[in-house]
Amino acid sequence: MSAPTIQSTKVNYLTALKDAIAEEFARDKDIVAMGEDIGLLGGAFGVTDGLQEKFGKDRVYDMPISEAAIVGVACGLCLNGKKAIVEMQFIDFISCGFDQIVNMTATYHYRTAGEVNIPMVIRGPAGAYGGGALYHSQMNEAWFAHSPGLKIVCPSNPYDAKGLMKAAIRDPNPVIFYEIKDLYRRRDIEMELPEEDYIVPLGKAKVVKEGEDITIVTYGQNVYHVLAAAENLEKEGYRAEVIDLRTIVPLDEETIIESLKKTNRLLVVNEAPKTCGVAGEVLARMTENAFQYLDAPPARITRMDTPVPWVKPLELYVLPSVEKITEAGLRICKF
Amino acid sequence: MATTAKADHQTGLNDEASKLPSAQLTKGDYEELLRQLYLARYFDVRLIKEKKRGRLRGTLYSSHNQEAILVGSLFGLQSEDWISPIHRDMPAFFLKDIRKDWNNDDRMGMTIQEVCAQVWGKATSPGRARDNWSHIGCQSKHIIHSTSMLAGTIPAAAGVVLADRLNGKNTIAMTFNGEGSTAQGVFHEAVNFAAVHKLPVVTIIENNQWAYGTPTNLEYPLEDFARRADGYGILGLIADGQDVVDVYDKVMQAVNHARSGKGPSIVECKTFRAYGHGDHDDDRAARYRPADEVEKGRERDPIAVMKKRMVEMGYMTADDAKNYAAEGKGASEVTDIDFPQQVVDYLSKGVEFAIKSPLPEAEEAAQWVFKEVE
Repeated sequence: MSAPTIQSTKVNYLTALKDAIAEEFARDKDIVAMGEDIGLLGGAFGVTDGLQEKFGKDRVYDMPISEAAIVGVACGLCLNGKKAIVEMQFIDFISCGFDQIVNMTATYHYRTAGEVNIPMVIRGPAGAYGGGALYHSQMNEAWFAHSPGLKIVCPSNPYDAKGLMKAAIRDPNPVIFYEIKDLYRRRDIEMELPEEDYIVPLGKAKVVKEGEDITIVTYGQNVYHVLAAAENLEKEGYRAEVIDLRTIVPLDEETIIESLKKTNRLLVVNEAPKTCGVAGEVLARMTENAFQYLDAPPARITRMDTPVPWVKPLELYVLPSVEKITEAGLRICKF
Repeated sequence: MATTAKADHQTGLNDEASKLPSAQLTKGDYEELLRQLYLARYFDVRLIKEKKRGRLRGTLYSSHNQEAILVGSLFGLQSEDWISPIHRDMPAFFLKDIRKDWNNDDRMGMTIQEVCAQVWGKATSPGRARDNWSHIGCQSKHIIHSTSMLAGTIPAAAGVVLADRLNGKNTIAMTFNGEGSTAQGVFHEAVNFAAVHKLPVVTIIENNQWAYGTPTNLEYPLEDFARRADGYGILGLIADGQDVVDVYDKVMQAVNHARSGKGPSIVECKTFRAYGHGDHDDDRAARYRPADEVEKGRERDPIAVMKKRMVEMGYMTADDAKNYAAEGKGASEVTDIDFPQQVVDYLSKGVEFAIKSPLPEAEEAAQWVFKEVE
């Protein structure tokens, strides 16, 4: 493991991701990266800054604006012994590569009865709250959760970002990795990270705050909204347990069920639209598998079933907020 | 205009016949090419017969009248080269690397047993019959598995040869596509990427004039699709898709071009789809396609064209050419005596294997969504 990139001081979310990728590049010479403006420029946000300079143009490709070809070529590389890290300049643009992801890449292991596996990470900046409007704000993880064969990851802090990225790169399956762009350089979430190599295993949720009165399940940027709402609830005398899913597929039902045994109340929050979303899936599974522990009707707070509009009052109107989460939490606690 | 374009595309490639790749072919090669034409044709008619006998289910996408494209394109490939056939190219799976020895099961192509087991949907197929019958492939034999999304494997073809290039290997990827595939966005994205990096991707266009029920004039406004190559800055060639030797010549020029580092190419092979899109479409195709167009499109059977060549070259007597008269006959008119015994035996071996093979266990359906993490 190369020492220079290891930080002894606090690092932000973006640096954690950048270091994870660079360390994996150094560890495994079969890893190749592809994306728009990721080489010369170092990526629109700088996640691959310096990567091409260090590892060369044979391993870091500036691609034409061709998301389908980016994913498809990466699939071919993986079919022939390489491991690919693919950047979507914004995760919104992933729709242009949709067929290559859900039909070509996601199904390859299945349709070859296990002969082929595609070790690909498709990563990109995601999420709203920053005024990015309809096409620079999306959380479209539910599209892919509905396509068997894809793992889906979304870290909320630098430690998880680094550990999950390494786990995703080492995973033999295609992984879609949602990086929350509003967290990239957020100062108040910077962390000191271990100097030694570590991973955060895929499929393991994390209890980020313990409590006894209600379980609030979320991931990504909403973790911080939920933690703020939990403080509000505390002022009202209710202690919330907050679970950060970290991985959407596979979903860690066990951690949620263990929490519900204690709290008997459930609220799920996700940034994406309501209908057929991840929050709805968590509610459905808990209704199926943990109904006996529930003392109140569970609920979800999600984006409205609208696109993400541009200007601030409109954007905030449709998204989950501390107020909306607090209100729903109180309603459930008081049931 | 079209004539000029054609000449432009073949500038420097219209040298005298002695310089053509086919000048190196021996009498034995010609005989083998003809045998392979019979094999591809027999695969088609045998499956139609098996289906009529009730021994086979599923839709058949006939390659009848287009066999010269598959045979001529694959003949000059090396074992380690990659291919990505689509639904109308079923014979390509076993024709790959068959040249040295039809019965070598370890060759870099599929065995007839594997292909037939897939067609019959049996557990002995390489993909254990999980995807439908034309969607097979084999990573270790360098055959990319297609999906139903046309042109969808061209990016992967670029990717596999890029990986080989990074590992110091000089392989070719040959993709097979109908002209209908060329209107897909991913076709453009992938060919463009291959052009930028001068990747050795040979894109074969089997221009059979019909994309299901839509004629070419509603797909692109060109006489010769190969002209599109100019827009990508790559080599574009046109082959007579009924003539296996002309296909071999053009494709080998594209292959040599690729292997010498000059980059990708488009080889448009002009042909005609003899039947419907699939066998479910045969009756309707007879209505949406004018009868005289169909008759004209089928009048130059690739088997007949090759026999004529061989007679002219003295590789076959006119009397011998009357043997195995499969040419010009539909599946209902042709019988086993119209094919060389070697061809019938080879395919029968696959059919019998497939029929005897078991179906996959139902529970397998839930397997292999993810590879287990070690």
